Amino acid sequence: MNGNVLFDIQGLKKNFGEVEVLKGIDQKIEKGEVVVVIGPSGSGKSTFIRCLNLLEEPTGGKIFFEGVDIMSKETRANLHREKVGMVFQQFNLFNNLSVLDNVTVSLRKVKKMPEQQAKDKAMALLARVGLADRADSYPSQLSGGQKQRIAIVRAMALDPDVMLFDEPTSALDPEMVGEVLKVIRDLASEGVTMVVVTHEMGFARNVATRVLFMDGGVIAEEGTPEQIFDHPQNPRTQDFLSKVINVI
Amino acid sequence: MSTVANIFANYYQYFLRGTRTTIVVSLVTVFFGALVGCVIALLRISKFKPLSAFAKLYITVLRGTPLLVQLYIVYYQLNFIHYPSGQFLGVELARVIPCIIALSLNSGAYVAEIIRAGIQAVDFGQTEAALSCGMTYPQCMWNIVLPQAIKNILPAIGNEFVTMVKETSIIQYLGISDLMYNNGIVVTSTYNPLPCYYISALIYLTLNIVLGKGLNIFEMRLKQSER
Ligand SMILES: Nc1ncnc2c1ncn2[C@@H]1O[C@H](COP(=O)(O)OP(=O)(O)OP(=O)(O)O)[C@@H](O)[C@H]1O
Ligand SMILES: [Mg+2]
Repeated sequence: MNGNVLFDIQGLKKNFGEVEVLKGIDQKIEKGEVVVVIGPSGSGKSTFIRCLNLLEEPTGGKIFFEGVDIMSKETRANLHREKVGMVFQQFNLFNNLSVLDNVTVSLRKVKKMPEQQAKDKAMALLARVGLADRADSYPSQLSGGQKQRIAIVRAMALDPDVMLFDEPTSALDPEMVGEVLKVIRDLASEGVTMVVVTHEMGFARNVATRVLFMDGGVIAEEGTPEQIFDHPQNPRTQDFLSKVINVI
Repeated sequence: MSTVANIFANYYQYFLRGTRTTIVVSLVTVFFGALVGCVIALLRISKFKPLSAFAKLYITVLRGTPLLVQLYIVYYQLNFIHYPSGQFLGVELARVIPCIIALSLNSGAYVAEIIRAGIQAVDFGQTEAALSCGMTYPQCMWNIVLPQAIKNILPAIGNEFVTMVKETSIIQYLGISDLMYNNGIVVTSTYNPLPCYYISALIYLTLNIVLGKGLNIFEMRLKQSER
């Protein structure tokens, strides 16, 4: 087996009641990959990446992370999640905490890091996204773009082995999309492994090392950005791309 | 108006004695009611089905039956208990304890629903974010959800306290000499009920206005300590 495989996903299924939303997904995600997931609304993209950090409990198949079966009873979900950062469409910052505390709270409570050390680490990360001067602000005082950059810093603070992004720019005003995509692009160029669900096709083409096209609960097509965007083979991929490219 | 003043001047000890009992019983009930409410709310949001089902049933029953009926059921059902004899601030313990139990159990059901609603008003995305940062569910509750829920909960609990002060008036039926009980004594000796009820109404109103002001100050303090 390849020692670089982070996620080894085998026949992953997810039902919500009677409805089968994921119908058997097989994927290997390796260290350093930037996997971009595209596809129509309702195809199961969110459900798929939420299964990867167990926010959704899969109903079938297996997921190995760094060789460990994360669906086994022995695996503690919270320990797995320390290694998997997640960024949400709606930012989900902690409204009762300052920007600084949003970033340090998991370092202090989960990693038991001393206060000062956590603060230093958080300030360094905030400086990297240009928000060190907002450390004492509260989420309600920030723009959407600022919130999302802080959400990214919050997830990065734990030094995760992989980052998951679920439509990180979909809730943003258009003029703020760029600043958030830049932060993600920077992380990608530093070699951070990530899985990104997005509707930003230009971004997908630029940063992806591999593109997955999801449709109806399966991965209908996958390949390099060139393969998917320039020479899609599956008619459903062609159809989807013609629609989203037309919109742009 | 002059009869109101007259009656109060002649019988004020009765009203004051009753008021003292009402205040003591209200305070004790509010305390234990909040305690019961926290426990029931915890059970209610528990992922363990039997516990949350029990809490749900508890809330349904206690909110779906009259307080007076509950009071009598508790009184007769628990008559095997040997309550401590003696008095506290002029109230006979053996009589008042079952009242406090009944009122607290009842209040707990309402408080539990208040707490649950307050927790649910905190958007679930923050819980998911906290979990995705590696927090356990209790860590997430304690550090993220409850500090925000408390802001929804406290005002509603304040209203519940005010309701409680008024509802304690039913303990007169078990012969506790609270405000309404003493009101009855004065009515019997003066043969003039209306002024007596006006006096009692004024006293209840005063109690609740003072309580409301106190809660307001408390909430302001809490808001200031937020930022
Ligand atoms: N908690 C849930 N309970 C029931 N059904 C759900 C739940 N979450 C998602 N679904 C259903 O599963 C399907 C896939 O949803 P999912 O959110 O994964 O799609 P998506 O590809 O992320 O779509 P979008 O682009 O709109 O975000 C949808 O039909 C949705 O209605
Ligand atoms: Mg989605």
